[in-house]
Amino acid sequence: MKLRTWFVLPTWVWMAGLFAAPFAIILGYSFLTRGAYGGVEQPWTMENYKRLIDPLYLIILMRSFAMAMVATVLCLVLAFPAALFISQAPKYKNLYLQLVMLPFWTSFLVRTYAWLFLLRDTGLINTFLEKIGLIHSPLPLLYNNGAVLLGLVYGYLPFMVLPIYATLERLDPSLPEAAADLGARPWTTLLRVIVPLSRSGIIAGAVLVFIPCLGTYLTSDLLGGGRTVLVGNLVQSQFTTARDWPFGAAVSMLLMLLVTLLVWGFLRRESEQLA
Amino acid sequence: MKRWLGVYAVGFFAFLHLPLITLAIFSFNSSRFTVWEHFSLDWYRAIFRDPELVEATWNSVIVALAATVISTVIGTMCAYALWKKKSSLVTGTLYLSLVTPEIVTGISLLALFQWMFRSLHWHLGLYTVILAHVAFSIAYVVIVISARLRTISPSLEEAALDLGAKEWGAFFYVILPALGPGIIAAALLALTVSFDDYVITSMVAGVDSQTLPMVIYAMARRGASPVINAISALITVFFGILIVISEQVREA
Amino acid sequence: MNRRYFLLGMTGVAALASCGPSKPRLNVYNWSAYVAPDTISNFEAEFGVKVRYATYESNEEMLAKVITGNSGWDIVFPTYTRIKPMLDYGLLQTLNHDLLPSLNNLDPRFRKPVWDPELKWNTPYMWFGTGIAYNKSLQPPLTRWADLWDSRLKGRMTMLDDPEDMLGACLKKIGLSFNSTNPAELERAKQEALTQKPLVQAYLNAEVRDQMVSGDVLAAQMWATTAQQAVDAAPQQLGFAYPQEGFPLYCDCAVILRESERAELAHKFLEYLLRPKVAAGSADYTRVATANGAAKAFLPDATRNSPTLYPPQEVLDRGEWPQPLPPAAQSMRDKIWTEIKSS
Repeated sequence: MKLRTWFVLPTWVWMAGLFAAPFAIILGYSFLTRGAYGGVEQPWTMENYKRLIDPLYLIILMRSFAMAMVATVLCLVLAFPAALFISQAPKYKNLYLQLVMLPFWTSFLVRTYAWLFLLRDTGLINTFLEKIGLIHSPLPLLYNNGAVLLGLVYGYLPFMVLPIYATLERLDPSLPEAAADLGARPWTTLLRVIVPLSRSGIIAGAVLVFIPCLGTYLTSDLLGGGRTVLVGNLVQSQFTTARDWPFGAAVSMLLMLLVTLLVWGFLRRESEQLA
Repeated sequence: MKRWLGVYAVGFFAFLHLPLITLAIFSFNSSRFTVWEHFSLDWYRAIFRDPELVEATWNSVIVALAATVISTVIGTMCAYALWKKKSSLVTGTLYLSLVTPEIVTGISLLALFQWMFRSLHWHLGLYTVILAHVAFSIAYVVIVISARLRTISPSLEEAALDLGAKEWGAFFYVILPALGPGIIAAALLALTVSFDDYVITSMVAGVDSQTLPMVIYAMARRGASPVINAISALITVFFGILIVISEQVREA
Repeated sequence: MNRRYFLLGMTGVAALASCGPSKPRLNVYNWSAYVAPDTISNFEAEFGVKVRYATYESNEEMLAKVITGNSGWDIVFPTYTRIKPMLDYGLLQTLNHDLLPSLNNLDPRFRKPVWDPELKWNTPYMWFGTGIAYNKSLQPPLTRWADLWDSRLKGRMTMLDDPEDMLGACLKKIGLSFNSTNPAELERAKQEALTQKPLVQAYLNAEVRDQMVSGDVLAAQMWATTAQQAVDAAPQQLGFAYPQEGFPLYCDCAVILRESERAELAHKFLEYLLRPKVAAGSADYTRVATANGAAKAFLPDATRNSPTLYPPQEVLDRGEWPQPLPPAAQSMRDKIWTEIKSS
């Protein structure tokens, strides 16, 4: 047997057992009826999917996609220069990488609470701004979409930095040099040589940020003050307070379907362009 | 250009570390609020008086290390296999695992384990947590390594094979070193994802397998206590020391 | 390579785990911050056992683990509304009153509770109500749910992130029953909530306590225990009121799971919790009202007389115990909750 067959086997086994099987269970749940107190029971039904076709839920989905898209773009813009810096650093590359990851080894919840601490009306930022006289009453930095975006971008920066770094690190330095020799300004070299060459990293990063952003619920709950419902909150609430597992499963299925189509379509275009 | 990049990097790292530094500073505040009262080590003392916390940290470390090692190894192998021959089934499944909201993964894994264990009279435990962590980490590893692999020309491996190397040799002595920094990046990502996971872990953890995020979450939901600040500061210091040590080892 | 060692290691661990423990074990799953720091260790010392004590944040989290009847837990603490469902699923063991002489310590109100008049399945543990915590700078002080719709509170007021409590407040404001399942009534409650939403800074649970103390938030719908903690931190500044229109009461109860093979030890634990001094210790530390009447004698005066934790009878009479709702009503309420939150 070829090496590659052996190599893909462990993943096969793990995914079949610990992803495909649970996935099948959730798929099944989405066609069942809610138990009186949570859980699922017979009869089988399409009711959950029919419920989804309601402007309320479709708007929630659209809002989530928009938020995730913006967060991904912001992440990309912020992460790329950092990844470039690290990949071009003469030494301490690993140190920088670990410095990027360091804040993320403390609890996500704690970091979010730290942002609460910073952004509140009587939080550090407002107190500081008032002290130096820049503002006279607290800025509403918290419990709105901006705060949620901040939380998302902050939380997923390493997921963008790492893949981009992984591709930039292999960048042949003679290429940008050649561009410079041919008279290109640094900005042009960046946009027309470096960025295209790190394409696979950018796409990987975008995927690793966009997809979890869609499913986020803690960030929008804590930093958004529970004022908006994103699809992650919707799913979360169905499995907890609303005790409607089948509907939660149906929403998840729809979400997964949409994202899969999106990513698949996007990646197909990518490979077509490469070919 | 290089200078601007350097300035940006400083700002970037400052932004990344700002919440943590704030937390660390206020972990020494005797009051739990924004107003600075006086310097105090109370919250640090509280940590060591809490055996649950110590055990939870230990569990988190074990799980994260085990899950990182396993998922990085499996994920790298898988990325390599996909590089040699695409498989939309495997790729699709991996992406799907990424897309699934955490609560759904958690509930479905719980349902699976409960159904399997009913007849075997097994219980949830640290091992189920590790199994779950590997399951969701593989996708991250594969994606990062695949991105790296796309920058490696297949002719590299061909050359090795032409020179008489077996497939395994070509992989181990040619491709793997070329993947080096990618593997480190992927492992770091897997470690982060695992160490910090709350939702899935809380669902599949057994009676004896509290992890740090679970303990912190409970504390924080009751109104963030500065004990959490102190814990985070300690974790940061601990990892910071690890990083410095690993740098020294690498230099030597 | 690594996987092989992992599997070997796991087999070893499993083998070790299957060896009997040296001390008897008890596994208790409770809400977080619901016992005093020494409650568990004192029990362990006195009875020579080891207690695995873990915590959860919501009934659903606990139920998801417990529902298959193979969770490994011996004692859990559901809110009373979950006791009937747990019974229906066959999850509970009957309590042997011979092993629980201290049941007499319970407050008379909890000796024959509505949800289990013979105390066959549970011992009531701690109870609390929902009300309004407010900053005393607001004059006149808030006394009604309707006060939370006042526009002077704009952006400085929070409501609970709990559909039952939040919708309940809306229903009570317009004079309807907390347990209403009538679509028209729920629709009216929804309209109230939507009217209020522009004034609401955020929907928060216990986290808002610190913001009340720091003055960020002037008024909040709060559980009495959180409010007590806030008032403790800033007694001059903060007050708490049980609204005139009526309010919900909740009680968390201890039950023994049917899967537990340590029934005798579990009973000993419940008996231990019913001791007046133990109950008083937990209640005072956690700032929740205890269902144990005899314990009140051991509480410090300030706690025993706290109007937030132990309101006088005429206030309590305005309270009601929410009922578990049928699934159809639950779905309706959930949709309304989603609509309110996403508007």
